[in-house]
Amino acid sequence: MKKTQPVSIIVISLVTLLSMLPLTAQADEPTADKTRTSKILNIVDDLWRGKSSHAVTTMRVKTAHYTRTMRMEGWSKGKEKTLFRILEPLREKGTVTLKSGTHIFTYLPKTDRTIRLTSGMMMGAWMGSHLTNDDLVKEARLEEDYDAAITFEGRRDGKELIEFTLIPKVDAAVVWGKVLLTIFADTYTPVTQRYYDEDMQLARTFTFTDMKMLGGRERPAVFRVVPADKPDEFTEFTYESLEFNLKLSDRLFSKASLTKR
Amino acid sequence: MNIISLASRNVRRNWQRSLVTTLAMAFASTIIIFYGALMEGMVRGSEHNAVAMSSGDIQIHAKDYRDDPDLYKRIIEPDLLTHKIRDAGFRAAARIYGFGLMATDSSSSGVQLRGLDLQHEQEVSEIDQHLMSGTWLRNDDSHGVVIGKKLARQLGVALGDELTFIGQTADGYMANDIFKVRGILKAVSTAIDSAGVFMPEESLRELLTLPEGAHEIVVIRDDPTVDLKVATQEVAALAPAYEVLNWQQLMPVIARFLETANVQTLIMMIFTYIAVASVVLNAMLMSVFERIHEFGVMKAIGVRPWQLVRLIYAETILQTCIASLFSLGAGWLIASHYQKHGMDMSALAGDISFAGIAMDPIWYAYITPEVLITPILFLFILAALAVIYPAIKVALIRPLDAIHYQ
Amino acid sequence: MNLNRLAWRNLWRRKRRTMITGFSVAFGVMLAVTFTGAGDYFYTRMIDAGASMGMGHVTIEAVDYHRAPSLKKRLQHVESLREKALQLPQVSDVMTRITGQAMFASASKSVGGMFIAVDPAQENSENNLFIRSIIEGSMLSSPEGRNIIVGSKLAQKLHLRMGKKVVYTTTDVHGEIVSAIARVSGIFETGISEVDGAMAMLPIHSVQKVLGYQVDEATLLGIILKDQRFSKSMRDKLAAMPLYSKAEVLSWQQSQPELAGMIAVDKSSNYISQLLIGLLVAAGILNTMLMSVLERTREFGVMMAVGMAPGALFRLIMLESFWLAVIGLIAGIIITIPWYIYMANTGIDLSGAYGDDFNFAGVLLDPVMKIRLFQESIVAILLGLFTLALAAGAYPAWRAGRIPPVESLKTI
Repeated sequence: MKKTQPVSIIVISLVTLLSMLPLTAQADEPTADKTRTSKILNIVDDLWRGKSSHAVTTMRVKTAHYTRTMRMEGWSKGKEKTLFRILEPLREKGTVTLKSGTHIFTYLPKTDRTIRLTSGMMMGAWMGSHLTNDDLVKEARLEEDYDAAITFEGRRDGKELIEFTLIPKVDAAVVWGKVLLTIFADTYTPVTQRYYDEDMQLARTFTFTDMKMLGGRERPAVFRVVPADKPDEFTEFTYESLEFNLKLSDRLFSKASLTKR
Repeated sequence: MNIISLASRNVRRNWQRSLVTTLAMAFASTIIIFYGALMEGMVRGSEHNAVAMSSGDIQIHAKDYRDDPDLYKRIIEPDLLTHKIRDAGFRAAARIYGFGLMATDSSSSGVQLRGLDLQHEQEVSEIDQHLMSGTWLRNDDSHGVVIGKKLARQLGVALGDELTFIGQTADGYMANDIFKVRGILKAVSTAIDSAGVFMPEESLRELLTLPEGAHEIVVIRDDPTVDLKVATQEVAALAPAYEVLNWQQLMPVIARFLETANVQTLIMMIFTYIAVASVVLNAMLMSVFERIHEFGVMKAIGVRPWQLVRLIYAETILQTCIASLFSLGAGWLIASHYQKHGMDMSALAGDISFAGIAMDPIWYAYITPEVLITPILFLFILAALAVIYPAIKVALIRPLDAIHYQ
Repeated sequence: MNLNRLAWRNLWRRKRRTMITGFSVAFGVMLAVTFTGAGDYFYTRMIDAGASMGMGHVTIEAVDYHRAPSLKKRLQHVESLREKALQLPQVSDVMTRITGQAMFASASKSVGGMFIAVDPAQENSENNLFIRSIIEGSMLSSPEGRNIIVGSKLAQKLHLRMGKKVVYTTTDVHGEIVSAIARVSGIFETGISEVDGAMAMLPIHSVQKVLGYQVDEATLLGIILKDQRFSKSMRDKLAAMPLYSKAEVLSWQQSQPELAGMIAVDKSSNYISQLLIGLLVAAGILNTMLMSVLERTREFGVMMAVGMAPGALFRLIMLESFWLAVIGLIAGIIITIPWYIYMANTGIDLSGAYGDDFNFAGVLLDPVMKIRLFQESIVAILLGLFTLALAAGAYPAWRAGRIPPVESLKTI
């Protein structure tokens, strides 16, 4: 069984989406189509894989009520452990979030307290963005949640694309009706990912743009979330740097290390 | 001879019998005055209970706020609006609300933050009187909070303990601060008990970076006799851009429950009146029939039937007057004692709530002019009706039969 | 002469007076029956409705769950606990349930709430208020599967319709955050917005899997009794059984203290009303007896002059009060029976008093005022009124017994 290894907290949100790819399920069914689907999705998935990672990212959020920018630095090790701290703005600087398994701890420098997020908070907005805390945690399980099929291959808007339709499995704890993922046919890098509700109304769109050398290969450096009911709003992540396979101590991801920073 | 002085002489001559009859009437109408005041107090008390802790008579919200309580659905320039409402003869206070997580070292819980304008809140709600322990909010204690009892239990906090809030500010940043538990409320409502965190308005504005606007304006009628629906229309006219609802619309189940209770109270009241009637009727009938012998003698000495009827009525009215005065005095005394002090039911009951609203365990009587006057009117009418039959009988009876009447 | 017969004859010397007084006692019986019966009926309904909202009349649950609920605290071997409880007399039903907090999410929103996981085979509209108030769809059909019954306000908040997905997130037995999917197969509306906006019913085996419970683990057993009045004694009985020593047994008064409080207050206000009516009845009897003693002063004087002891006179008047009370009570029973039958079966429909917008689901509140009397209430009413009648006769009797003979002959 292949495993998704998120590379940073921001990547987690990316991987959230990408790891929904039903890698294992496809491998079980040895039809030619399924094998190909699985293979391509594996490659897409490989884009974000590594034993460990370190990234610096900027998040921009625009809503009807505010626009804000946040810069942060993140580390990951294995698929269960992620840690990030906020660098800017000053108001939130030093805030550290640790994800270990399904637990999320947040250290708040202003009050010098560490808080564990409970199930009741999971659907809450993450840092005022259009992603929820749940989006951050779910990724490890989501690979088992969807059935995938290639539903389009060819030229669209002047680009060679492959489109996957991901349908949640019946028992998957997924609110969506379906997810459409499009990737470039040549590089297998993601272009868009669209989430539909059960009435097949578009709920939110993720777009991946700005191909750049990151962590040793071409990857989309900008990731943007747009809620369908508020097309003027968005959350956008931009990578400044991304490195893979660093040596990171387990202690970095312990609850005790939160307060040391 | 003057009929009044004759009647009063008769009453005095039969003083024991008159006393027994008068006391019976007085006692019956005292009871009904007291009972009426208790029932009036219960009706008013339960209405008061339903609105006094939190909801108020009328609430103003931005449209859709109640369905989807969003930080940004605000009433703009709430000060202006509350001034207008106060000028129109109401009491009003603005509130702001926020949501987030309150945590201790070991546990956490989702909470609703309630920012109160402490000065005006006092005029519209009695929540500051409803503490189980600790003290109410103070403007000079910006980080002191008062929380619901179930929330306190869930978080395992006591007075003086610290709570860490984490949430989101109106401008999208992280809201985070430490608060100290200053007070824990008694049961108020399901929502407040399990998630309510009260703090001064200014503290919440600062925490959430919410410089202006309010989420709710609570209005109380200055004069509780003003019809609620009329008052709602008046307030709605002052706040045309907003949703204006009274408590009966906000809490239909409670309103229904109270209506049911009121109808049942009315039925009980009718029964009690019938019981009173049977006592008065019996007393009046007896006071005439016992004396048929005496009336026979009067007839024998030449008193005409009409004069006899007038005499009987005069006596009756005299006794009823005395009984009324007595029962007014006694009923008022007892009722006003319980209007002031109330009957404390908390020993029997502890916390009381229905359909999510806590009820005050102290039962107060309430005196209205109707409560005092209705039983007295009833007493006069009843006494007058009660003696019709014996009076006619006496007027028509032959003296000899009367003397032998058993 | 036999005092008893004398008293009886004396009463009928003044038929009208006796009958009016008897009527007021009889009416007192009817009033007391109405007040007490309305209370007995209303409280039983409230208690039964409360019991059918999840906890039963008596609840067996994990130790300390009530004080600080957590899904970690659970009962084990619930099936054997349930079997044993079902065998007890007075127990009409026992339901295995898991209750806890959860976050419910749809594609459009998420809302915090409560779930109650049930085995549909054990549930029916009698022991489960939510089944009674289903307005759309139908009850869960299996303890397995991915169906969910949600409250109407919750459905509205999450933009749910029949057949739509809901993801519920909660904390499992190890403290881990877990989520699972369910599809709306029913919507209920109790009329209580706190319940309709937060509550959902789930199949128990599915929830056990999600939470990491064993098949014979649950948070509570709700016991429905044939008669709610036995809840305290049943609680004590269960708590004393060694089988339940590792569990906590609560009566509805403990599990729903607010309801118990409301009923206690209403009961005491009902008692006050009845006390006042009792006083009125007593005043009627006192008035009658006092009058009768006053008018017979002369007669008593003669009786004492011919050698009747004051004590005998006292007994005579007491006997008169006694027979008056008996007549009144019998008359009361006669007039109350048809009234009671009418009120117990048909009742007074109060919905007319609400105007035309009465569309309330009627789960908690009944628009019809009915009465139902417990046996012990009947005994209490009759004994209470009887005692009051005798007490009211005591003063006139004492008075009659102390009239000095010479003076009494002089009056009139």
